[in-house]
Amino acid sequence: MKSILSSAFLLICSFGLYSCETVIDAKLDTGPTLLSVEATLTDQPGPQTIRLTQTAAYFDSSPPPVVAGATVQVSDKGGRTFAFTDPDNDGYYVWTPKTGDTLGRIGQTYSLTIAYQGETYQASSKMNRVPAIDSLIFRKEKLNPLSDTEGYQAELYARDLAGATDFYRIRFYRNEVFQNKPRDIIVSQDGSFQGSADTDGLVFIRPIRQSPNPDSLYALNDVVRVDLMSLTPEAFNFWQELRTQITNGGLFATPPANVPTNVTNTRPGGPAAVGFFMATAIRTRTARVVPENVRQ
Amino acid sequence: MKHTLLRWTVALFATLTAVAGARAQTDQNTATRPASQANYTVSGYIKDAANGEKLIGVSVYVKETGTGAVTNNYGFYAVPVPPGIYSLVISYVGYEKQTRTVELTDKNVRLDLELKEEGKQLQEVVVSTQREDDNVKNIEMSVNRIDVKTLQRIPALLGEVDVVRSIQLLPGVSTVGEGATGFNVRGGSIDQNLVLLDEAPVYNSSHLFGFFSVFNPDAVKDVKLIKGGIPANYGGRIASILDVRLKEGNAKKPEVNGGIGLIFSRLSFESPLFKGRGSFIVAARRSYADILAQPFLNADLKGSKFYFYDLTAKANYRINDKNTVYLSGYFGRDVFGADFGFNWGNTTASARWNHVFSDKLFLNTTAYYSNYDYSLDSDLKRKPENADDYFRTNSRIVDYSIKPDFTLFLGKSTITFGGQSILHDFQPGTATAASAGTVRTFGLGSKYGLENALYLGNEQQVSRRLQLQYGLRYSLYTYIGPGEAYDFAQDVPPGQRRPPINTLTYTKGEPIKTYGNVEPRFAAKYELGDNSSLKLSYNRLAQYIHLVSNTTASTPLDVWTPSTNNIKPQIADQIAGGYFKNFGAVSGSGSEFEVSVEMYYKWLQNQIDYIDGANLILNKYLEGDLLSGQGRAYGAEFYLKRNRGVVNGWVSYTLARTERQVVGINNGDWFAARFDRRHNLTTVLLIDPPARGEGRVSRWNFSATFTLASGTPATFPTNRFQYEDFATPVVGGRNNYRIPPYHRLDLAATLQGRKRTGKRKDDNWVFSVYNVYARKNPFSVFFQPNADNPVVTQAIRYSVFATAIPSVTYNFKF
Repeated sequence: MKSILSSAFLLICSFGLYSCETVIDAKLDTGPTLLSVEATLTDQPGPQTIRLTQTAAYFDSSPPPVVAGATVQVSDKGGRTFAFTDPDNDGYYVWTPKTGDTLGRIGQTYSLTIAYQGETYQASSKMNRVPAIDSLIFRKEKLNPLSDTEGYQAELYARDLAGATDFYRIRFYRNEVFQNKPRDIIVSQDGSFQGSADTDGLVFIRPIRQSPNPDSLYALNDVVRVDLMSLTPEAFNFWQELRTQITNGGLFATPPANVPTNVTNTRPGGPAAVGFFMATAIRTRTARVVPENVRQ
Repeated sequence: MKHTLLRWTVALFATLTAVAGARAQTDQNTATRPASQANYTVSGYIKDAANGEKLIGVSVYVKETGTGAVTNNYGFYAVPVPPGIYSLVISYVGYEKQTRTVELTDKNVRLDLELKEEGKQLQEVVVSTQREDDNVKNIEMSVNRIDVKTLQRIPALLGEVDVVRSIQLLPGVSTVGEGATGFNVRGGSIDQNLVLLDEAPVYNSSHLFGFFSVFNPDAVKDVKLIKGGIPANYGGRIASILDVRLKEGNAKKPEVNGGIGLIFSRLSFESPLFKGRGSFIVAARRSYADILAQPFLNADLKGSKFYFYDLTAKANYRINDKNTVYLSGYFGRDVFGADFGFNWGNTTASARWNHVFSDKLFLNTTAYYSNYDYSLDSDLKRKPENADDYFRTNSRIVDYSIKPDFTLFLGKSTITFGGQSILHDFQPGTATAASAGTVRTFGLGSKYGLENALYLGNEQQVSRRLQLQYGLRYSLYTYIGPGEAYDFAQDVPPGQRRPPINTLTYTKGEPIKTYGNVEPRFAAKYELGDNSSLKLSYNRLAQYIHLVSNTTASTPLDVWTPSTNNIKPQIADQIAGGYFKNFGAVSGSGSEFEVSVEMYYKWLQNQIDYIDGANLILNKYLEGDLLSGQGRAYGAEFYLKRNRGVVNGWVSYTLARTERQVVGINNGDWFAARFDRRHNLTTVLLIDPPARGEGRVSRWNFSATFTLASGTPATFPTNRFQYEDFATPVVGGRNNYRIPPYHRLDLAATLQGRKRTGKRKDDNWVFSVYNVYARKNPFSVFFQPNADNPVVTQAIRYSVFATAIPSVTYNFKF
């Protein structure tokens, strides 16, 4: 809702061509280096990866410093354990399943343990349920109300699972390229926005259905892949806050804050960690922008 | 103990009313008693001779006794004196002084007067409308008045005179930045200002976010900002009172005022009613940027809307010498929309009854209604094919109140007493979502608060030099049903969301939680000589309703919440001291220069703050996302004003600090509030070129304002981590940096139209330039990944106005 407000404000300001954003130099202090955990375990076949890095100075845009030599293990409540290893010391810790095996099971809770530099970090996450994407279609639309250029706007149809509050993330790929702009982080509660009506069990509301689109929309013959991922409420908060923090500016900015983490140091007072450990079930739909997938 | 106090207050209130009544009776009956026993009273209304507007704050002084009175907000005064013949001196800055001989030998005298404005050649500019040497003589401190004539001279954004933007030029008043809604007074947040339009509170005083305010200058008579030493008759907010009074309308002849500007136009009509027994004014404004833009918008945006309008109206009717009634109303709306849309607006209505019980006892009773609401719609045009898919939310706050205020004029002292009862009706939000044909409605239950207050105050002339004003206000607030109240877990680490653990249901009218506060008020003035005085004040104020907003600038979609079982009332204690001096040549309208220094310190309790990632919209368990802290604000305000001359105006400098301490934010350490500005300098210069030759008046006048203020605090990141491709900030402390300072120069020139003999028409052109040297003043500096490459992080300076903005406005009156 805030983004609607900001765009309305922008509309007024841009009408007069008054406002402006300028990239400036700023000198910042640097805080202590912390362990950063990027861990998204899925129910999909194939290897599962956990990436460990360190925080860097804010303006340091080089690849983040690698954390090598950590011991990384995941276990579930059922007593299975999965050792993640990093033989080439690049910070990517991988578990490779035996043929036909998968790590993630819906409804199972997973725990992560990381031992690094004498500290032990822990996190846990449940793998929640997720509905299938029923269809992925396209419509010919203007890029935005101000534009004369047209493109193909994707719309996914899925129905929220009834009976409980569910949290989802939608991520999408254009011609196999992951769409990674801050505004491409899409999360949803019950197929709607958080803080809207109770949409439990409904078809995802239109703005969410139309969310997996780049600014330029799609072109004919593009291949579009959309992943619908289940989240825990905490992981939903993580993604929502991450998006807020990397798009936070202008008149209606909220106070910059740290994105919440679920990774804790088992030693009270020990160095904290950042990042998140999440388990997610994924349903995918891929469609090509061809006339049979285009609706009026 | 609180109940004892309440009873005590009620008893006192009752006794006073009885005494007043009895005294009034006595006065009637003893008109023929021996002279030494009884006092007689001269009383009446004082009006402007040109249009019959009642004048607020006119000094009525009895030469022989040295006593006097000041007209109240309704233009009424009363001075009791022993029997005799007296000379009454009636004076008001900008008006010709009058001296009247009054014979008070055997009865009370009613004396209604009209004052004439001073000749235009002599006094083209009146910096403020007030008593002579008011700043020194008046017990009020921390009070600023701006009259409409001054407002009209100050260079304005897009040439539009604006009350709220103008008061930001006064000492102790600041804002987080251009375009931000509201204003901050002495370290208070924007919801801590009680903004009154003819006594009805206005919940959102802004149009177009914060660029313009809801007050139509053509309809405004008097603007008074009280920052400290707040008298007992005001309450309900803890930082300031912005008391805006509307014109009554010309009671002598019909009058039309209007203006055509670049962004909106104004038109007002005022006229006498019932052969001068009453009058009315109707004033309207509408912005038309959207209309002008239509031809340039492509077809798809043709239906887009962005405009605001407002309508202000007031009427009064004098039933007889003892009774006058007033009706005032305001209705305004902002509308934005292309495909999506939202609109918001205030509606206020107040009815007032002035009753003169006796020559000494005056009663005003106000009943008001105030409404602020907004709605948001995902699909304004709602084409038939979209009827299955939309999203809509509404929210509003409504107040109903009744408020009797008595004034008892006793010569050496003026006693005020009264009370107020307010029913707050909050509808924090309802939402309707339709998806693929299924419609769901979801609503947060209404919340109700009942706010009552009783007060008693006295303004007492202790000696020729010493004057005291003291009083007590007792406010009693109850959070009432119907509704649900929640208990939240307390064993949560500070700064994190507290989950609800218990839900309690209440029936209609059932009290959920009650808070009472004794609010003492005190002010003293000691005159050091004819031209200087020392003033001291203390006040405690309590506030039971709160604006829930964690954005830098408040948005129109922010909701108000009452104090609940989880949200305690905000309380402020303020002490202030000041030195006031007038110097320079003295003329009919007082000294040439005024100077003052004021210092204040304020303690704030139960200040609302928010957990990181707080969910404030349509959240049933909002209270679990709120934090409570304390605050402190202190500062010094320096003010120098020249009341007349070719170059007149004022310079104000404020040195201030405002901080908060909240468990769960910044490790519990004090941090600077978002609207903290250490230094704030404003200069307003009004230039009136001398007339060239006898009997001629310069048609041009000029004005300039310059503002220089410290940058506001900001939270800058220290580190980053990468998650997927997203470079994510890591922050240390809250508000650990400051953005660059703010400065801006504005200029304006006014060209008066030629006066044609026999024509009543009066017109002028106002040319102005805002932000003359086109400084890109930062509203904020924020940190974001590059839009095209989220791995690259950068600092971005955001300026609301990055250029000089020229404008021209044509104003007319006939």
